[in-house]
Amino acid sequence: MVKVKNIALGIYIALIAFPFIYLLILSFSADWRFPELWPQYFGLRNWSRVISGETGLLSSFVLSLVISLSVATSATLTGFFISRYVNYHPKKRLWTLITYFPYVLAPVVFGACLSFYFIKVGLFGNTAGVILSQFIIAFPYALIFFSSYWGEQTREYENLVATLGGNPWTTYTKVLIPMAGPLMMICFFQTFLISWFEYGLTSIIGVGKVETLTIKVFLFIKEANFYYGAMSCCLLILPPALLIYFNKKYVFNKLI
Amino acid sequence: MRTKYQNIGLLFFAVLGIIPFALSFIYALLYSLGLVGVANSGFTIEHWQEILESGEFIKSFGFSAFMALIAMVFSVGIALWLTLLFHKKIQHKTISFLLYLPLALPGVVSAFFAVQILSKSGYFSRWFYQIGWIKDIQEFPDLINDDFGFGIILTFVSVVMPFFLLLFIGVFKTERIAELESLAASLGSRPNQIIRRITIPLLLHKTWPLIALYYIFLLGAYEIPLILGQESPQMLSVLIVRELKQFDLTKISEGYVVAVIYTVLVTIMTLFLFLRRKSIRIDG
Amino acid sequence: MKKNIWYILLVFSLWSACQSSQEKPSLDLSNTEWSAIVEQAKGSDLHFMMWQGSPEINHYILEFVKPRLKANYDIELNVIGGQGPEIVQLMMGEKQANVESGQVDMVWINGETFFQLRQIQGLWGPFVESLPNAQYVDFEDPFISIDFQQPVNYMECPWTISQFAMVYDSAKISNPPTNLDELKTYVQEYPGTFTISNDFSGMTLLKSFLAEISGSSQGLNGPFNEDNYLEWSGKLWDFIEEIRPYLWKAGSTFPKEQTKMDQMFANGEIYLGFGFGEGAIDDKIHQGLFPNTTRAYPWANGTIKNTNYLGIAYNAPNKEAALVAINYMLSPEAQLQKADPKGMDANTVLDIDQLPDEWKTKFQNITRREYGISMNDMKEYAIQEPDPRYMIRLYEDFRKYIIEN
Repeated sequence: MVKVKNIALGIYIALIAFPFIYLLILSFSADWRFPELWPQYFGLRNWSRVISGETGLLSSFVLSLVISLSVATSATLTGFFISRYVNYHPKKRLWTLITYFPYVLAPVVFGACLSFYFIKVGLFGNTAGVILSQFIIAFPYALIFFSSYWGEQTREYENLVATLGGNPWTTYTKVLIPMAGPLMMICFFQTFLISWFEYGLTSIIGVGKVETLTIKVFLFIKEANFYYGAMSCCLLILPPALLIYFNKKYVFNKLI
Repeated sequence: MRTKYQNIGLLFFAVLGIIPFALSFIYALLYSLGLVGVANSGFTIEHWQEILESGEFIKSFGFSAFMALIAMVFSVGIALWLTLLFHKKIQHKTISFLLYLPLALPGVVSAFFAVQILSKSGYFSRWFYQIGWIKDIQEFPDLINDDFGFGIILTFVSVVMPFFLLLFIGVFKTERIAELESLAASLGSRPNQIIRRITIPLLLHKTWPLIALYYIFLLGAYEIPLILGQESPQMLSVLIVRELKQFDLTKISEGYVVAVIYTVLVTIMTLFLFLRRKSIRIDG
Repeated sequence: MKKNIWYILLVFSLWSACQSSQEKPSLDLSNTEWSAIVEQAKGSDLHFMMWQGSPEINHYILEFVKPRLKANYDIELNVIGGQGPEIVQLMMGEKQANVESGQVDMVWINGETFFQLRQIQGLWGPFVESLPNAQYVDFEDPFISIDFQQPVNYMECPWTISQFAMVYDSAKISNPPTNLDELKTYVQEYPGTFTISNDFSGMTLLKSFLAEISGSSQGLNGPFNEDNYLEWSGKLWDFIEEIRPYLWKAGSTFPKEQTKMDQMFANGEIYLGFGFGEGAIDDKIHQGLFPNTTRAYPWANGTIKNTNYLGIAYNAPNKEAALVAINYMLSPEAQLQKADPKGMDANTVLDIDQLPDEWKTKFQNITRREYGISMNDMKEYAIQEPDPRYMIRLYEDFRKYIIEN
């Protein structure tokens, strides 16, 4: 029995590692055609083009980073503060329910129906528009995420501080934010990943002008340039893999 | 003072959380009825009739529901089985890192990878050819863009299953299922009985809202069926986007009809899910 | 609270409905000197939306056109990925939202998009006559001045002309089919090695088939004829139904895009392909994608020959820059580079006889394609693009009768 378990675990881990290794090899390859099992060219050519900025991948990486960091920062902060008002409200359940709607809807459909308003206010085809649209789906996530934080216990702490003469400012800076610190970190990285992995909404609101990494992957698939596609995949995987290495909680999102 | 802040907070909530959803729904509804849209000429229910009569929507909806269902059954089933096998092993640091690693793969990457290994010119096909199992590239079976959605299901499972495995292992620990198991064993239950009567029901009971939510997500999945699906039937999101980008401008409204129906369905499912349970959150 | 939300919603909707951007004085071409336009265009940003599916085309635009526009005219060219449907979607949205200053200045389109954009009045013009380099274009040529049976009326500027051709691997088949009967024999002999992509290229092939069924290469000319269409397309679907079991994947599905077919051809999954640009095989052989035994050939009853064009968006923020860029892309210099068989390999729309002698010789000395067929060799096999409604119907019915059946 122990043996079977070890074999099963071994197979599962090999299956997990396979895509990472394969994509990495593919990103170093060129001229790799059926029925060859190993590429004709294997070396640094593709990646050196990335470094020299020729493929546009480096700028896409930076752009994706800027977008995701902005979305994560704004969604976490607004989510944290606004979640308090929603959860202390008598109609808490109704509000929370409504929060789920934009979150469960397929982003690409949401984007298609929302694009008119983005065009209208001039937030179409630019980075600001993409950030706002991704914020619209990351924000409900953050709201739901913090809903359990604003429970009875937190309320009691707040009352305690108030009784001891603390003003709202000290309540936040000395009690509420320090207490929520670790949670905020998790929410930050999870909203970061929602944005980092986003494709449908970005493709519609960005019109193809805002070339994030996920958009690049699709472009390379269309061009049948699998080697560059694999490079973009590697760049896409890198940040979440690092996050897992540092703290698994940042990536494992149990709430959805 | 307090109520004033509260109202401002709720106002923000409405502006950011509710209005975009409401606006997009209203727009899609108006468009589907021909009331907005450059190529539309006024109120009509023609587009609704067309969609409801054509059968394409029903087919696409059935296909999406079925794909999502199969993928969830396999994901949850395999995750349960692996949980029972591995729940003790995860303590090891490297193994635990590796088990989390699949979460770093977004749908786009998984679909891209599936094309690389499963297509007729893909990596598996090459091995089959080198070993001599196939003599010609055409002999390799259709695993992507195929009739049965095999590629879609496999990729769905590869994305969803690792998550549920971690979830179940987590619940296993926090709910002290191991202790319950040994208690049941000391009371004379057989191992099989314990798994069927205690372990699995407990795990599922604790996680079913998430299972339902993931089902809704898969129903609306876009990138994976876009890359791995075929031209007909298509999954809902792919169908909607195709209808919106079609050549005949007078029929774009049909895409919005499907979008409205899809939104309503998902909303109802969420309502149902939410009202059955006070909170969806799973702590631990 | 609920009331408040509806109130906000209403206000927001009203506000967005009333929004309109600042207006820029509109450009009147008849009263403006070309030099003034060039002057006005200096230092501006130009947004060009084009299909980015081909590395050669991307390379030509980004490495040849872009730096020259910058150096000669101080115009910064920005390329945005997007083809027909995306362009139309974008402009419909902007039209609806009354956006005066759009996302895009310049678009690369073909007849189907031209038809759609004319429907929604998405193009600005007429402008082509005002371009200095338009003097080298022969507007009497019906393949240039008529796009999908619609007079172009100087609303879009010709950029490249090409003909549709069939492609096969001569190492695998010796006698490729040139008519429908031969195609039937072919698929029975080589089952699973032919298919039709569900996109512009595939529909263009179906148009050639439809013309053959009509009995002549001119059968589809003139305005759309419902009765003829029904009769001929009925026969076409019967024919495809008949050969379906011998198609790729037994006709149970069809590839979404022609690029997919190219990959399958490259891998030897299919033996017979097709494409614009007289088959567009040279670049793929040079890349090592296609085997060097690949050849292109005409269909006996003829294949579609058409031109693709550059247009200016109705709400382009920088119309002057778009004019200058289009004029440059029409110049002998840019067109010559574009025709290089080792590069983009695209036929010029310029009439070589009208060019100054120096350019005439340069164009006459372009190295011939190594593997592909030249448009001149396909001259007798050219069919004009039929009315766009043929395309609309073929799209719909191919989906209805073949794909979903």
